[in-house]
Amino acid sequence: MLKGIIVLLFFQLCGETLVALLHSPIPGPVAGMLLLWLALAIKGGPSKEVDEVSQGLIQYLSLFFLPAGVGLFFLPDSIQRYWPAVIAAMVAGTFVSMLFSGWLMKRLSGKNSSGSA
Amino acid sequence: MHDLIQHLLDFGNSLIHKPLFGLLLTLVVFQASLWFYNACGRRAFVHPVAVSSVTIAALLKFGDIPYREYVQANNLIYFLLGPTTVALAIPLYREFHHIRRLALPVLLTVLLGGIFAAASAVGIAWMMGANEQVLLSLAPKSVTTPIAIGIANNIGALTTLTTGVVVFTGVIGVLLSPVVFYLLQLHDPRAQGVVLGLNAHGVGTARSFELSATNGAFATLAMGLNGAFTALTLPYIVPLF
Repeated sequence: MLKGIIVLLFFQLCGETLVALLHSPIPGPVAGMLLLWLALAIKGGPSKEVDEVSQGLIQYLSLFFLPAGVGLFFLPDSIQRYWPAVIAAMVAGTFVSMLFSGWLMKRLSGKNSSGSA
Repeated sequence: MHDLIQHLLDFGNSLIHKPLFGLLLTLVVFQASLWFYNACGRRAFVHPVAVSSVTIAALLKFGDIPYREYVQANNLIYFLLGPTTVALAIPLYREFHHIRRLALPVLLTVLLGGIFAAASAVGIAWMMGANEQVLLSLAPKSVTTPIAIGIANNIGALTTLTTGVVVFTGVIGVLLSPVVFYLLQLHDPRAQGVVLGLNAHGVGTARSFELSATNGAFATLAMGLNGAFTALTLPYIVPLF
């Protein structure tokens, strides 16, 4: 397990270093993910230890968002009068953009599989 | 006897302000919500993040614990988001043969869908009279939390509002996904993954992995691409308005 954790943290560190050097707005962990993906492509797949730790972490991905989500219930008073606008943007905005992207994905991949490309 | 009760009350009161309490609160409530989620057949509307965040917020208010104290106690959980993001490279690598075949549709959907997600949120809030700070905080709503916080800082949005909105957008996206898939008759796990990862970032990606490995890999890809694209463009678009 320890080896797996070390590999993941090492790639995160590489990612953080890379974005700091490039002054990129992309977060370090995302850059680390791309670097690990590159390393896996070169090496030909993850070791058993990295695979196990990764599966364990990904299984609880949504838990790691929880403390930030609780923050929505503790906003400053100045924001609270905009609650209806915020909720409408989250619910209606997400609904229409999901419909749009689903429709787009269906159209574009349909074309692709019928062999027009 | 009275002294003893007072002593116990004081001890209990100091205990709930210790970091251990905040961390344990998160884990216990989430585990209970997971049981509940599984007992309900993993229906989207009892999503564990939705159920646990409402429960934790109510308990914090009841126990008179400041949110800042709770967040500090949960730094460890927040930290794990980093290595977990790195770990997503593995499903991405495994499903790459699927992804390559659909590279162009995925890329186009993420580009146009990402713009649409930000524009629709800001547009709706603007029509309902939100101020500039709220509008700015809503713009990165479909991007995964660590990226959204970076963007929020760059464009001068309120970080606490952005993170809360981002997480709840993820939860709402998961709640709405069965309806969206039904309305569009969208059964292809690859397309479902793209819709969840693009609109509901990490929370949607977690849901995708429950549906299938391919679904999860496409969600990871859409989430990563959308995050990178939004992080690179939004700081330059905002000054135009």
